[in-house]
Amino acid sequence: MSVFINRRDGARGSTGLPDRPDQMSDDCAKGGIAARGKRCRNIGQLREAVGRAARHGKRALAPLKVGWRHRELILAVLRRELADRFSGSVFGWVWAVIGPLITLLIYTMTFTKAMQLPLASAQGGTSSYALSTFLGLIIFGLFAELCSRAPLLMHEHAWFLKTSIFPSEILAWTAVLRALTYTGISFVVLLVFELALNGMLPLSILLLPFIVVFLGLFLLGVVWFLAAIGAFTRDISYLMITFVPLMMFATPVFYRVADLPAGLRMLVYANPLGAAIEIARAVVLDGVFPPIFACLGFLVVSLAICRGGYAVFERYKGILIDVI
Amino acid sequence: MSSDSAIRCAGLGKAYQLYARRTDQVKQMLFGGFHRFYQEYWVLRDIDLEVERGESVGIIGRNGAGKTTLLRLLCGITQPTCGELNVAGRIAPILALGAAFDWEMTGRQNVLIGSAVLGLRRSEILQRLPSIAEFAAIGPFFDQPVRLYSAGMRSRLAFAICVHADADILVVDEALTVGDAAFRQKGLAFMEAFRSRGTLILVSHDMEQVRALCDRVIWVDDGGVRASGEVAKVLRLYDDATECEEDDGIRFRLDAEARAALSPAATNRRHKRWWTRCQS
Repeated sequence: MSVFINRRDGARGSTGLPDRPDQMSDDCAKGGIAARGKRCRNIGQLREAVGRAARHGKRALAPLKVGWRHRELILAVLRRELADRFSGSVFGWVWAVIGPLITLLIYTMTFTKAMQLPLASAQGGTSSYALSTFLGLIIFGLFAELCSRAPLLMHEHAWFLKTSIFPSEILAWTAVLRALTYTGISFVVLLVFELALNGMLPLSILLLPFIVVFLGLFLLGVVWFLAAIGAFTRDISYLMITFVPLMMFATPVFYRVADLPAGLRMLVYANPLGAAIEIARAVVLDGVFPPIFACLGFLVVSLAICRGGYAVFERYKGILIDVI
Repeated sequence: MSSDSAIRCAGLGKAYQLYARRTDQVKQMLFGGFHRFYQEYWVLRDIDLEVERGESVGIIGRNGAGKTTLLRLLCGITQPTCGELNVAGRIAPILALGAAFDWEMTGRQNVLIGSAVLGLRRSEILQRLPSIAEFAAIGPFFDQPVRLYSAGMRSRLAFAICVHADADILVVDEALTVGDAAFRQKGLAFMEAFRSRGTLILVSHDMEQVRALCDRVIWVDDGGVRASGEVAKVLRLYDDATECEEDDGIRFRLDAEARAALSPAATNRRHKRWWTRCQS
């Protein structure tokens, strides 16, 4: 461990190490100019550009590296939290399955028997509408749970963070992985239902892991961001209570992108949560490849949010411990 | 940094941020670049310290002198406000023993988490579990929730975890005060054995313990190093000072400006000013 911090820069924390200038490519560029000709200079510049790009790439991977470095610790905490959830109650796993099962049954009943929605996507078949809403709710539920938990994450573990050398950035990883595990159970229920209804699952379902990975990265960024700000003020968790239900209608949970006028569709895809839901629907329910621009946008935005959230957390990590 | 030094710091300082109100924390976070919303309280200032690998160093000083903050900085639990700090090797802190336990979990589960925090792999932990249980010597309570433990049992378990962590540097803060005589013996024997293979940083008010375990002593007073060097010499100075200095609150003082800004009266004044502005 090595820390160097000057007075002005104190908030930046331990990893705010100054970047070492890329010595080799610099020397190379200078050598090129001194020696002769344009060609050498171009090569030097090229190398410098490649070096710079590599450094940026490295920095973008920082959140993943943190997770990998502490993988043993993440697994230990995750194992304990899951055990808490599933062996603390008498019927642990049974409840986890029954919850989504009942939800899905009630949806199917509502949308096939009680309500006939005038939505275009609801005309295709009411049971498929129930499935599509259920899928939307699963993914949205994941986001909602993390949004309500993240601002309190640091307070929940305050004493632990203050008295041991537990790295605080790990908490986001365990929170996201834990939520993903619960969601996985709901997802299995969904797949079983789809199999029962259609007799088969589309082959495109194999693309699902990619969606989960990028959705996970997006959620990580959100949790880091909310946890950092939430440590300073409890208002964030109150804010989330109003924000999350609003977000539910800004995200295609009860409707599909196809139900919207063409002008608004891009807006939905700009919201990574909406994009994730729509892409998952295409892959899991429709059995088609999702629109490529939506995938690319989702990928870029998730990565950016993950990196941004981590940057914010890193920035305030040093003072977080003294504040909570 | 020379290859032989386990810990080296230069000009190390730590200031806590004292806020008059909680909303100031948010203001500081949002607009910290333009204005300072807190008062600084310097717990440590200008600490220069070099500890060789394999050395054992005692840290003494009165309550509130900054000993624990120094240890927390060395462990990386809090970040220094200024200065340079290098720590080489795996560090195992024995601070506030058992405070980091989850009270709902059993001792065994807490060992799994606690050892992972210190950087052990799961396979290594599982392999050492029996040995940890034996060292803690709390019998069947090892599989009971920690909330049923007494303070002594908690510190036994926490100490057992640190003992089995393969640390290069052991940082001990008043660890054995709650244990009974037998456990203290065991702990001291471990630290004595550890001296031959690792670096030991010991904070204690028990001068006999310091004399027995340390090669060198640092006397921390009022956020700085007041004396350091040979054990006998520093302990004699410290004893002399304790005899002639009064036990007053002078060590916990703030400077006049900070005191004024943080006092309840100041807060009230600010509220009143805001209230009158709203009225008019």
